[in-house]
Amino acid sequence: MFNYITRRLLQIPVVLFVLSLIIMGLMQLLSPEQRAAAFVTSDKQIENLDLIIEKYHLREGFVVQYKLWAGEVLRGNLGFSRISKEPVLTTIRKRFPASMELALAAFVPIVLVGVWLGTQAATHRDSLLDQLLRVVAIVGWSLPTFVVAIWLVAWIYGGLGWFGIGRLPSSLLIELAGGDFKKYTGLFTIDGLLNGRLDITLEALKRLVLPAAALVIVVSAGIMRVMRSSMLDELGKDYVRTARAKGLAEKTVVYKHARRNALIPVITMAGPMLGRMIGGIVVIELIFNFPGLGEWAAKAALQLDVTTLLAFVMLIGLIMAVANLLVDIAYVVVDPRIRYE
Amino acid sequence: MHDDLDTREREPWYRSKTFKRFRRNPLAIVGAVMLLGFVVVALFAPAITAPQLAESRTARPCLRDLGVKRTEVVSALRNPLNKIFWKAVLTPPESCYSIPRASYSPLPKPPSEKHPLGLSGNSYDILYGLVWGTRTAFYVGFLVVGISLMIGIVMGGMAGFVGGWVDNFIMRVTDVMLSFPGLVFVMIVASIFGSGLTQVMLALAVIGWAGYARLFRGDILKTKAQDFVDAARALGASPLRIFWKHVFPNAIGTLVILASMDIGSVVLSAAGLSFLGLGAPVGYADWGQMTSFARGYILGTAQGSPFDFWYVWIYPSLMIVLFVLAWNLLGDAVRDALDPKS
Repeated sequence: MFNYITRRLLQIPVVLFVLSLIIMGLMQLLSPEQRAAAFVTSDKQIENLDLIIEKYHLREGFVVQYKLWAGEVLRGNLGFSRISKEPVLTTIRKRFPASMELALAAFVPIVLVGVWLGTQAATHRDSLLDQLLRVVAIVGWSLPTFVVAIWLVAWIYGGLGWFGIGRLPSSLLIELAGGDFKKYTGLFTIDGLLNGRLDITLEALKRLVLPAAALVIVVSAGIMRVMRSSMLDELGKDYVRTARAKGLAEKTVVYKHARRNALIPVITMAGPMLGRMIGGIVVIELIFNFPGLGEWAAKAALQLDVTTLLAFVMLIGLIMAVANLLVDIAYVVVDPRIRYE
Repeated sequence: MHDDLDTREREPWYRSKTFKRFRRNPLAIVGAVMLLGFVVVALFAPAITAPQLAESRTARPCLRDLGVKRTEVVSALRNPLNKIFWKAVLTPPESCYSIPRASYSPLPKPPSEKHPLGLSGNSYDILYGLVWGTRTAFYVGFLVVGISLMIGIVMGGMAGFVGGWVDNFIMRVTDVMLSFPGLVFVMIVASIFGSGLTQVMLALAVIGWAGYARLFRGDILKTKAQDFVDAARALGASPLRIFWKHVFPNAIGTLVILASMDIGSVVLSAAGLSFLGLGAPVGYADWGQMTSFARGYILGTAQGSPFDFWYVWIYPSLMIVLFVLAWNLLGDAVRDALDPKS
């Protein structure tokens, strides 16, 4: 197990290397001036683009350029983001917790709802409930996230005035910027508790409800379908018949025996999903005015801020690799029979 | 001996068990009927929107390219005996895809007799955008799936048939592509190539092939292991002949059906990107771009009256949902018919 994890950890740099090759390759399609922006670290330097092009040999071939870029990155200089007007790393440090908080707030209900509905559909196979859930799943699957988000914002926030958008009301944000509120994790819900400021936790939670709900409506359908079919698979197996034959209660058979085994494909699906969410749910963050990584990247894409996008891709690559590793570890926790050599 | 084999006809596809399972699924029928509706709307877009074309000044380029006078538009575009009718249906000029504007007023106007679904911000006619947007949706869906399917077939075919390090290399590339969130890749490609509908479609196609390549490779390996392939090899057929005559036709069917069911989700991604502002330019008949007007008219209006301009965003977003739903209903039924166990 330990060896396996080490090996997987060593693979992460390789994945990042391949990704950076692809992105740098794509960047060769840009003009030297556009690429020079990747090395700019302050607003003033933007005026001296010619000097930068000279200094970093941007008119030279791909290999020279890649070496230079990789050298900068290894030294911890990911570049300067035109969108946030500060070094990329500073922005990532600021925005990562926001995306993390939103991702967790949506992920937990998505998995719980998906697994629960999937189990119900499987145990009531071909009944009215199963058919109904099937239609619900197809409809949910067909709803674009941005459409659900707009409908929720219009109807619940705009119409009824419930919950809220953004991360915190601006009055609280101003207070936090100046006050002695300590940032332990960067997640306002948890920091609020740790600082003994329940009002902050509540306000932050209130503002997570709508974006999380939008994601639950769209994404849990997929988890539910996977759960249903893998649950049906398990319920048809011999050990389930044995368990029933020895007189175990139906509840024990379904929830203790079959469901645990049925969770494996769900984990396979849910892990990368969480990774993708932490990387920012672009559309949701934009519509709910949530200052996370996705919103930043979307603005960068619209204004051709290549430095920001490059750093964003590397970050996503890292997050996805870690998420996949966590999935492998989760298999062992759920099913102790799985061993890695 | 050959004649013997040829007289034993194959079972026609419409009598196969798979198709029967598909036909008996009520959801499949609902999906098919919805889709048929969209096809009709897309085909007869010029006829449906003829009054709007006649009305607006900004529709002049479209009329000029069609070669029709303003006064004759309605009668020409609604008469199947007229040549212009067929020209507009089959090869409408690009200029007809920009939504005509009733005026230059920035404020939306509610539905009226002249503009049955109202005018969105900057007076774009909503009905026109929705109807011609159906064409855009089909166009985007078919083109993107078509291109990525072709790349997928070439890559998957090479991986499955050549094997060895080629297989290994292609599969590792698909690993990276499948584990990386597609939207992010498309955002980057679109920002490097510049935003626009063509760029977004290219980006989506370049991202989408990995799944098809894997599926096709698997099907090829399965087919390759069957006896008739061994028999062909024993008879001395060349590897290329084996591939084209025996493996390819047997492996391709399921792939094409499954891929065509992705058209809905491709349109969904394209709409999302258009919504972000990376896709079609403002004023182009595209549902995602039209929905993006919502951002101004929901968040911008006063608290408590978010539905003042409901027609601006409810209609286009409903079109996207119904279009994707139609494809997904069909797709679900198809997958069920192909794999009755699930």
